Order: sequence, then structure tokens, then C-alpha cells
Amino acid sequence: MNNDNILSDLVPIRSIHYKPHLCLLHFPFLTQILFGFLLFLVLGAFPCEGKLVIDVENPNLAKMPISIQDFVADGASPLNGSDLAAILKNDLYVTGLFQIVEVHAPVTPNSTSEPDFEVWSRQGIQALILGNFHVRGDELVLEARLYDVPLRKLELGKRFTGQIGDHRRMIHRFGDLVMERLTSVPGCFSTRIAFVGDSQSREVYSMDFDGYGLKQMTRNGTINLSPEWSPDGRSIIFTSYLNKNPDLWLMDLTTQRLFPLSTRTGINASGRYSPDGSLIGLSMSFEGIPKIYIISTQGQIIKRLTAGRGNDISPTWSPDGSTIAYVSDQAGSPQIYTVPVSGGQSRRLTFQSNYNTDPDWSPRGDLLAFSARIDGRFQVCTIRTDGTDFRVLTDKGSNQDPAWSPDGRMMAFSSNRDGKTLIYIMDAKGQIQVPVSSLTGKGPAWSRTSQ
Amino acid sequence: MLSRYLMHGMIVLLATLALVSGCSRKIVRPNQVPQGPVAPFGAGQISEQELQGVQAELRIVYFDYDKYSLSPEAQTALQYNAELLKRVPNVNVVSEGHCDERGTSEYNLALGERRARSVVDYLVGLGIVPNRMTTVSYGSECPVDPAHNEAAWAKNRRVFLRVSR
Repeated sequence: MNNDNILSDLVPIRSIHYKPHLCLLHFPFLTQILFGFLLFLVLGAFPCEGKLVIDVENPNLAKMPISIQDFVADGASPLNGSDLAAILKNDLYVTGLFQIVEVHAPVTPNSTSEPDFEVWSRQGIQALILGNFHVRGDELVLEARLYDVPLRKLELGKRFTGQIGDHRRMIHRFGDLVMERLTSVPGCFSTRIAFVGDSQSREVYSMDFDGYGLKQMTRNGTINLSPEWSPDGRSIIFTSYLNKNPDLWLMDLTTQRLFPLSTRTGINASGRYSPDGSLIGLSMSFEGIPKIYIISTQGQIIKRLTAGRGNDISPTWSPDGSTIAYVSDQAGSPQIYTVPVSGGQSRRLTFQSNYNTDPDWSPRGDLLAFSARIDGRFQVCTIRTDGTDFRVLTDKGSNQDPAWSPDGRMMAFSSNRDGKTLIYIMDAKGQIQVPVSSLTGKGPAWSRTSQ
Repeated sequence: MLSRYLMHGMIVLLATLALVSGCSRKIVRPNQVPQGPVAPFGAGQISEQELQGVQAELRIVYFDYDKYSLSPEAQTALQYNAELLKRVPNVNVVSEGHCDERGTSEYNLALGERRARSVVDYLVGLGIVPNRMTTVSYGSECPVDPAHNEAAWAKNRRVFLRVSR
């Protein structure tokens, strides 16, 4: 097949060892138990509010000052320690939860030495990340450690073993674990974003969440739209004109094979998996007016969910699978509505603009992101699912197609703010907005699974 | 004059053959469509050149922003198209709905479908047999004018009737 499989060239990380405390490994087992018990007694005496935790629900959240030192190479290496640190700095920066403090250690630490906490503490650093790595042939062994500076202790230590080409994945994986340790929700740095190339052709591409590792997924020379990852990450569904009609297709990412899911007369558009992956919501017009339907993953119609004279399109599922939000112009202009999947009355959710489209339900369930036309341009907005707390997150250029990250902390969207339409990512409050795609693109979809 | 007409026909034919994706963006530029007189057609099979003559004569229907209702100008154009199609009963048409670039791909796909269907419904009302017509929406994916201004958008909000035998 001519399409690069996004999974095929990724050598799995062979082992991930959790090192509970690096120093302890040098002691015999019984001593470790004794020492651990003593450590427990000592730590138990510390007040718990000193623990290194980011309370993401706190509206007055202050960014955590963190320092990420250049990774130290043990011996000669084709990889650069400051490049490795830069990957992690970017990961943590775009969450909007950290203040990356650029201070350099007075003494280069190595894998066996504890950092001089006093030095970091004086600089106001709360979290410190040190790393080291060595390369032998094609093999890369990389260790990274997160320290709680006020408590002067190791929070997290990991060793990754793999190929040199895995270095970005190793760093992203460590970043995911840092997020999990500090916020109790794993990060999304090991996920990928699919999007539609917005040039002469309309092929589907995918990239790491930070724009690296670009791969072309379709190569059929026709129009492909609205990619969507299956929740298990094994396939994508998208609308394609392969047979000269906007049909819904599935691509198996292991075999690259294509399967038609819905080829009914008219549009078969905006397919979206239910959270458990067992159903697909989409818009079809074979009965005349585009309406929201639910089909099985084999393509059989389960039910029609909406009725009336409006154009209904772009369904998005609530994380519990009970409700679908969608766009309808039944009131004369496109607005966002919700409808119970079990059937029942639709309820209009948006009133703030006369053109609201592209809803995407947050994986946390509390917010819907969408694009609203404001002063003639499109902006990414959020609204609570009860219709309150309308927020405009963007203001430069036109910004569309928001897609939540699986941890609900970030969104991908398309923006033409700098001329070309590129895929951007931002944190959920819009404080940090950065372009990530090297190609012009639109219609991003964020994978639910880590690679 | 005849050779000039033939050449125009050839250009349209070649452009049609070049079309593999189904995207009409390359061949529906209004200034590329020859405006010659329509030759008389018989009731039987018509030649490729005659078919392209019908194609050239069919009028493109334009729409207001975010609308799929037919303006008086659109209705006039469709009355002209209906008379033309009645003279060539063996010619089928695909009603291709298009939108301008503003708005989102998915919503525009639905809007383009409604535009295509508005045209079909109106032609049925004028006596064209429904089974001669199908619809396809290209949303905002195939602009005839890629510029980002009102003039381009007005040209792109359209239904193009593509003929076939």
C-alpha cells in the first residue's frame, strides 16, 4: 500500500521501568524495606498541603514554576540533550499550567547524584526535571526524573529503552506521566491529530500533537473530509468522494484497507464514534433533508435522531454516550442543539451568535467547544452544557473546527490568523495558542489513544 | 466559425476527461464555457459534442449567503434550463451544490445538498422527470474562484447542472 501506516514504523518501547527511588536500588532488599518504612514515617510528618499538586479546578490557579534541565549524555551521542529537554518544555508549556523557568544548574548532575535542592529552592522552583541518556548503536536508554523541590524528594523516575528514533515518544511518554503525577490525569502528549490537507487535494494527514511525525493517511486524489479516530485508535472514518458521492468510509490503520460504511444517496457526512466505539452518529440526506442518524459500526441504520425542516449536521457525543449535540438551521441560522440518544425533544443551546457550528463535546463532559461567527469572522468558543458561561477563546483571524484533546485540557483548531490556514493547539482557556501543522489544513480530529 | 465551435467543444471535452475526482473546480469557470447557439437535437442518442453544447447552454444558478431558497433570477435561469432539458429527453443531469468558503466544511456540505435539491425540486415542478436528476453536494470544497472576497464568494455559491447521457 502506498499509505504510510502511522503505527507500522513505530518500534514499541521495549521496557518502561519504574524506579521507585533511585538511591534505594543500591541497597539490599531488607534495608530497602527498613528505609522505606523510615521514609514513610518521616513523610507522614510533613503537612500534606506541601505536596506537589496542580489543582486544575482552582479558578485562581497560579502556574507552577518548573525547571527542565538539558538532558545529560553519558558518552557520545547523535542526540542533543537540550533538544530533548525542549520537547518536554514545549509539552508542559502548551498545557498552560506551567511557568517554564530557564535557570541552569551550577553543577551538571548525573544519573546517580541528587540535585542540590537548596539552589533550586532559592530560585522559586517547585518542580525540577532532570534527565540523562546514552546511545549504543541504534539503542537509546533514557532516564528522566521529576523532583519535588520544596519537599526535597523524587516524585517520579522512569527509564525508557528503545531505538534512537523513539526519543520523541519517550519524552512525550514521560510528560504524560508528569501530568498524571501532578494533576491525576495523564497528559495527551503521546496522541496524534488527524486533519484534512487544505490545498489542491483534500487528503487526510496525521501528526503528533506537537506537529512532528507528519504522515499522509489517504492518497486517493479526491476530496476527503471530517476524519475521526475510532476510540481504540485502530481505524479512522472519514467522508470521501471516492465514488463521486460524499460517502462515509473506514480505513483500517493496520492494513490500510478501506471499507465503505455508508454510501446512501445524498450526503453521508460528519461521522462521529460514540465514546464506547459501538455506534456512529452522522448526517445523511437520503430521505431528503440532512438529518442526524445513528448507525452501527457495520453501517446499518439503528435510528434517525432528528426530524423537522432544518439541515442537521455535525453530531458530537457526550462522554457518557447519552446525548448528542449537533448543528441545525431549523430556526433560520445554524445553531447548536442537544438531543437524547434514547430519543426525545431537541433543545437549543446557543443564542450568542447567528452562526454557530462545529460542536465538540469535551471529554470531561462539562463544556462544548464550537465555532461562532462574531463580527464577520469565526472564533472558537466554549459554553457549558446547560447553555451558560459562553466564552470566546480566539480573536485573531478566523478560527474553526475545535477538537478536544482526550484529557480535555487542550483543543486543536484551524486558524488563518497568519495568512495560511494551519492547525493550531491551545489550552482549554485559550491562554496559549500555537500553530503545529507544517501543512495548510483544517478539520482536526484528536486521537483518543496514545501511540 | 465551425472550426472555432469544434475547438471550443474539444476544450470542454478534454477538460471533462481530465476530471477524475468529481470536483468540478477545473471546468466550470464561467468564462471558459462557450456561449454558442444550441444546435437542434433529435429524440435519439446525442453526440458528445451535442451533449457539451447542452452543457454550455445550461445556466448556473446562484444563491445568497447561507441560503438555499431560489431568488427570482435563479428561477428565471431554471425556467430557461427546464425548457432546454425538455428538448433533450435523453440527457440526465447531476445537480451539484456548492457554497462559498465561509462557514465550516460540514455545515456547508449540508447547505450544498439543500441547494442542489432546491434546484431539482424546482425543475420537477417545471415538468422535468425526477429520475433524470440526481444531487451531489461539494460543500465549499470546489470554488470556481479561490479569492477571498465578496465577488468570488458570489460566484462560488452556486448549483451547476452537469449533463450526462
